[in-house]
Amino acid sequence: MRIIVPIKQVPETTNVKMDPVTGTMVREGVEAIINPLDLYAIEAAAQLKEKFGSKIVTISMGPAKAEEALREAIAMGCDEAILLTDKAFAGADTWATSYTLAQAIRRIGEFDLILCGERATDGDTGQVGPGIAAWLDLPFATYVSKIESIQDGEIIVERMVENGYEMLSMPMPCLLTVVKEINYPRLPSLKGKIAAKQKQVAYWGTAEIGAQPNNIGLKGSPTRVVKIATPQVARFGKIVQPKDEHELNRALDELIDMLKQKAIL
Amino acid sequence: MQNQYNHITPEIVAELQQIVGSKYVIYDDPEKLEPYSHDEVAEKKYAHFPEVVVKPRTAEEIAAIMKLANSERIPVTPRGAGSGLSGGAVPLMGGICLSVERMNQILEVDKENLVVVVEPGIVTNEINNHLKEYGLWFAGYPMSVESCFIGGNVAENAGGGKAIKYGVTERYILGLEMVTPEGEIIHLGGKTVKNVVGYDLVKLMVGSEGTLGIFTKIIIKLLPLPTSKVDLLVMFTDVESAIKIVPTIMTMGHIIPTAVEFMDRLSFQTAYKYLNEHLPNEEAGAMLLIEIDGNSMEQLEKEYEKIGELCLENGAIDVFVADNYTTQERIWSIRRNIAEAFKVYSPVQSLEDIVVPVASIPKILPEIENIAGQYNVLIPCYGHAGDGNLHATIIKKPEMDMAEWEEKLPQILSDLYERTHAYGGTISGEHGIGHKRKAFIGQVLDATTIELMKRIKQAFDPNNILNPGKIFDLK
Repeated sequence: MRIIVPIKQVPETTNVKMDPVTGTMVREGVEAIINPLDLYAIEAAAQLKEKFGSKIVTISMGPAKAEEALREAIAMGCDEAILLTDKAFAGADTWATSYTLAQAIRRIGEFDLILCGERATDGDTGQVGPGIAAWLDLPFATYVSKIESIQDGEIIVERMVENGYEMLSMPMPCLLTVVKEINYPRLPSLKGKIAAKQKQVAYWGTAEIGAQPNNIGLKGSPTRVVKIATPQVARFGKIVQPKDEHELNRALDELIDMLKQKAIL
Repeated sequence: MQNQYNHITPEIVAELQQIVGSKYVIYDDPEKLEPYSHDEVAEKKYAHFPEVVVKPRTAEEIAAIMKLANSERIPVTPRGAGSGLSGGAVPLMGGICLSVERMNQILEVDKENLVVVVEPGIVTNEINNHLKEYGLWFAGYPMSVESCFIGGNVAENAGGGKAIKYGVTERYILGLEMVTPEGEIIHLGGKTVKNVVGYDLVKLMVGSEGTLGIFTKIIIKLLPLPTSKVDLLVMFTDVESAIKIVPTIMTMGHIIPTAVEFMDRLSFQTAYKYLNEHLPNEEAGAMLLIEIDGNSMEQLEKEYEKIGELCLENGAIDVFVADNYTTQERIWSIRRNIAEAFKVYSPVQSLEDIVVPVASIPKILPEIENIAGQYNVLIPCYGHAGDGNLHATIIKKPEMDMAEWEEKLPQILSDLYERTHAYGGTISGEHGIGHKRKAFIGQVLDATTIELMKRIKQAFDPNNILNPGKIFDLK
């Protein structure tokens, strides 16, 4: 079985600051990491490899620095890594990104399964996984929380839906996007790290994947970012701790006034 | 003891208001005084309310307060962020709590001399945040980085996880401006790396637990900031092989790690449960978290491979490598959440920080386990294996009643300290004595040594005004 795991390198956002003027993230001094939700896809692939002896190819689109993310994925169990890097790929939206990744996957050749994270923590769209499936005309399932079985070219998965879970059966090859519930990602072992250092990461550009110049990068992206704004927090609370009856009455009056103002009373 | 002091009167409050401004005096307001009545020692019995809190801004104001306190015989307890773990900032005899929270400026970054001059009330973490753009850092900072003040760090000679490579606070304190207990402003040390004029009072002041003076300016030596770090999480079948690897890394690997944190089985399994962590651990009896730092990732790769291989050759089951934010946070959160995890199990505990020569750790751990069994309590051990500093935390099992716990605890501590001393160790590596451990210093210090310390205290503070009742009782 051959599994393809597309991953993304994203800025570490726990301590991130926003530029109050432009509304964009301050990227200076921010560490780049594997999109945390992609770790679950890598782990799911690694577990299938342990069970079925699969080969895992991980693939990423990004600058040369993204090679770090690919090497980390190898350390976690992936066998091969491909980095799609080309100036022409820059500025891609989810449409162009999924096209570019799909072109690369065509070039990889035969495969049985594509495993993606639920979404990337930076763009937060969750569109690229299903986008790849659309370009490749593959069946797909999103929010997969369990791979129930793989047998005779058929996969049965459990996916999270609004009110619970549903079980789906699909023919393979197919694409899954997985959620956190699916597993506990492993830590890279020393052996894995040393192996990852010795592996060659393939660099592919526009020519290697045979991409249409009009479908890639900023030029191929129908999405236009017009404005980025930070949402205003509309909720607020006020806590009064009255020390005596007088203060209590005053607080009650204030509360009644406020409710009247909001037309609740 | 307490009756040697006078109480605060409205007249004294008025004088204090005169000195610092009425805005910066808290009096007759239990709700506002409460935060100044305790540090981070969990047990309520160690707390004590101040009668008044003053928040001076300058050394001159502090000098005036000390002069007033001496003439009126009012005890003064200096206070940083209150994140201590021995009761050092607790106003045990009431009186004045002198908070340095308003003295929170970085006065000078001297790049030429690799020195920073700060006021005592700045959050230690902020010093390093500020220094980042200069590519410099203060390497002696402890674990409670988010809250503690540098003044408290110096007063307690705080340590932390990086002592094995970088030592503790005292290594970095070059000079001090301080107010003596009698209210004189003096200057000790300076920006020079060497200084042998007279007794080294800077070293005496570092770790004096607020009993000998109040710092108003602190001169700190800086180091170039390392740009990269890598962490290894290593599982061992047993404690002995985990500890034995520590000297091996240095002697065979020729590498001084930044940190070597040790966790026994009880500790990491409790943290796993608390964090919903699922790393394989069934066979592991002990775990080490080894950190190395430097300025070249290539060099660090060579070093961690070497350390990892040494571990695997010497009884390690698994070695995991964390060289990025995601994985580093994940493994450090195991270590950082042990204390919290045990609080969920049982909030009644006594956090200890015994320290033994590193090679004694495997010998003392079974003895600690015996003590735990004998008294029917839990004593997980975790901490800084690199320097032998263990947080042996005594935890009351939920089913034990409080009266029994109160009765047993002093006996447990005494047994624990006795065993520690027997292995060449001592009762506190970084938290200090305060009033929490003062009953026990006789177990590890000669009577003559204690007598000399008392005479030092009396020489600085003839009226015993500053932080009385800490480390030892004078009479």
